[in-house]
Amino acid sequence: MSAAASLRARVRALLSRRAEVYGINRRNLGLVYPNNPRRNYPWADDKLLAKEAFRAKGVPTPETLVVCDGLYAVPGAVEALRGRSRFVAKPANGSGGGGILVAGDWDPEREAWRKAGGGEVTPLGLARHLADVVFGVHSNQLEDRAFVEERVEPHAVFQALWADGLCDVRVVVLRGRPVMSMIRVPTAESGGRANLHQGGLGIAVDLDSGRTFRALHRGLAVERHPESGAALLGLELPAWPLVLEVARRAALAVPLGYLGVDVVVDREKGPLVLEINARPGLEIQNVNGRGLGPALARAEAAP
Amino acid sequence: MRLEHRHLARLTVAALVLGTLGLMVYKVRALGYALSDVLPVRQYEVTYALDLDGHGGDVRVRTFLPSSDARQTVSEERDVTSGLHLSQTVDGPNRVGSWTGAEVPDRASIRHTFRVLPHRVVYSLPPDLAVPDSYPASAAAWLRPEKEIQVDAPEIASALARIGADRGTVVERLRRIYDLTSGLAPRPFKGTTDALTALRLGEASCNGKSRLFVALARAAGIPARLVGGLILETGSKRTSHQWVEAYVAGHWVPFCPTNHHFASIPERYLTLYFGDETLFRHTSDVNFQYRFEIRSELVPSPKAKASFTLFNVWGLFDRLKLPFSLLRTILMLPVGALLTVLFRNVVGMPTFGTFLPALLAAAAGQTGAVWGVVAILVVVAVVATVRGAVSWLELLHSPTLAILLAAVVFTLLSTTMLAEKLGVAELTRVTLFPIAVLAICAERFYLSLTEHGAKVAGKELGGTLVVMLACYVVMNSLALQVLVIGFPEVLFLVLAANVYLGRWVGMRLSEYRRFRGLLAGGAR
Repeated sequence: MSAAASLRARVRALLSRRAEVYGINRRNLGLVYPNNPRRNYPWADDKLLAKEAFRAKGVPTPETLVVCDGLYAVPGAVEALRGRSRFVAKPANGSGGGGILVAGDWDPEREAWRKAGGGEVTPLGLARHLADVVFGVHSNQLEDRAFVEERVEPHAVFQALWADGLCDVRVVVLRGRPVMSMIRVPTAESGGRANLHQGGLGIAVDLDSGRTFRALHRGLAVERHPESGAALLGLELPAWPLVLEVARRAALAVPLGYLGVDVVVDREKGPLVLEINARPGLEIQNVNGRGLGPALARAEAAP
Repeated sequence: MRLEHRHLARLTVAALVLGTLGLMVYKVRALGYALSDVLPVRQYEVTYALDLDGHGGDVRVRTFLPSSDARQTVSEERDVTSGLHLSQTVDGPNRVGSWTGAEVPDRASIRHTFRVLPHRVVYSLPPDLAVPDSYPASAAAWLRPEKEIQVDAPEIASALARIGADRGTVVERLRRIYDLTSGLAPRPFKGTTDALTALRLGEASCNGKSRLFVALARAAGIPARLVGGLILETGSKRTSHQWVEAYVAGHWVPFCPTNHHFASIPERYLTLYFGDETLFRHTSDVNFQYRFEIRSELVPSPKAKASFTLFNVWGLFDRLKLPFSLLRTILMLPVGALLTVLFRNVVGMPTFGTFLPALLAAAAGQTGAVWGVVAILVVVAVVATVRGAVSWLELLHSPTLAILLAAVVFTLLSTTMLAEKLGVAELTRVTLFPIAVLAICAERFYLSLTEHGAKVAGKELGGTLVVMLACYVVMNSLALQVLVIGFPEVLFLVLAANVYLGRWVGMRLSEYRRFRGLLAGGAR
């Protein structure tokens, strides 16, 4: 075959697979706009609103300890948490993991909470953080609500992937049907965040079996965690049918049809829904090594 | 339901495109619009720069000033000479300007400026026209011999017979005279060559060839005259040019034997006077120096302005005394926004918002693209620096932005002050850049930096600059501006493009790269 002919064949092959892969334009026009009316975005943007919807439908979530809906509520919240160990403070409308404070065990002698990776948080420090959140420092709006929930203790399988933080399972759901999923694993490089664009790791999970079959780090397929060396492929995820069930119920609990549901598996409580995203990213296609097109068709055809 | 959306969008696009085309055809067919009038024309600004040393005595300088006629439009003529008085007289077909002054000092200068819009002219001559027996008096005067145009010389008569220009139609005679004179060897001689000398030497500069042409034409019974003027080219020049006109069927038809134009002259010829004249006459011993300074710019064709009558926004802005630059900026904004949409949704290049690149490009129309980019980079540097400094204070969002704005204003003023001190006149222009647009730019950059980090903010900044420059090129195209002014319905095409792009589900160019593994099929 001549060089020109082989090039032409390659381009044709490239274009033929184009129909399977979803770009942003197609995702927005084909999935997000028809399924997610804009007025219903608050259920995805506001974590407290979503949690209320989940509670009403019996979808398990980490337990909320306190909510601060104004500066006045901050001192009371800090007092309520004094002496209590292992919790997370978050902004209701945060994005990209900003404004999240993770407190460890309470140290009665130092009157402070230990932090993961050393350091400590004093009650004053916690009060200041909650006040910042309430003032909208982490959510780019004039005011926000802060809430504190109990810390998830990751299941051993996830703990093995990343010891210092939380790995979650992202399940993309279309009108109550799981489409594709992956685990997002933080790395030291990503600053402990599971965001794939910041150097986090994505592991594809087979929807039927709950087994991991492909992992991607910075666009390259890998078999081991680049820092811990933990094996990533062929893992059998715990309580997989339940993970999918929880994701499906979470998706049906809110008036949004196309969602990324983030599920964590607690060592005692099992699958819990952390948050939902109304515009789930497209990188999951690269992680899975397949386009959303066939996966969506399969999900639609499922009973 | 999705299908319906798609159909609706298609119908909208089709209706907009057909409506636009229909309106354009109607304007061209019924209202006399011409698409070619949309193209800009080159207008020249010519300055006579005359310098002399008056030695404290009386000085008189006389030259020719151009007149408007069928092939050149002279406007905005102004004289910025001090110490000498300009008076104008009409001498036959020529306009004569004379500067006079008493006790004129050394190093006196005359500056006389005008703008001119020249047109190319081409004549088609009637092939069968015989040489008439008589001419009107005004034309007949141009048959007589002159000192350096020796119509009666036997050598001229024999040359005429030799080339066969003493018989046949007017066109045949002119063609033969033209062939002879334009075939003479060029001669880089700056002085005057008379007709006979040119004939004897067989070589001449422009005035020698032209005089010979005139002498031969007159001898052949066709009135002819020298034309003096300039070939317009940007820069500073001393060389004037001479060509000829012959009186054919009631018209003065131009010929340039030097540069080989038969019955035509190109656009760049500026006519200053007719006849065998001297361009400058002046008091002797004044160390007279002259040069022509010529600049040029593209301007909308006056024909466009005259013919665009339906929904005449141009006339509206004239009546309201609003500047033309505002009109074209406003009309080009939707075009710039469409370009931004193309870059964002088809190329996949992130920018600070959809309007900002177009707004930046519009603002850069006043300062030039380079200074626009400089202004943006200055602002971005200020934002990054101030953000670093202010982050120690842990301030809330809005006050931080207000501090940024103050810093931007202060920096722009300091830059201008520094530029003035250093004598970099160009740099002072950064202050001309509309502060409102820069303020929005600063805010967007700050938000991006804070929410997504330096890498994303840098990418968006780069994308914004690229799209801004693309918008700048397109939005500052005078042809496009005049097109939209004359045919505002072109903006419906912009709408149609946006409707189409709004339903376009294709992959962005950047996504071919992002998903190249999937597309290549080597993922598994």
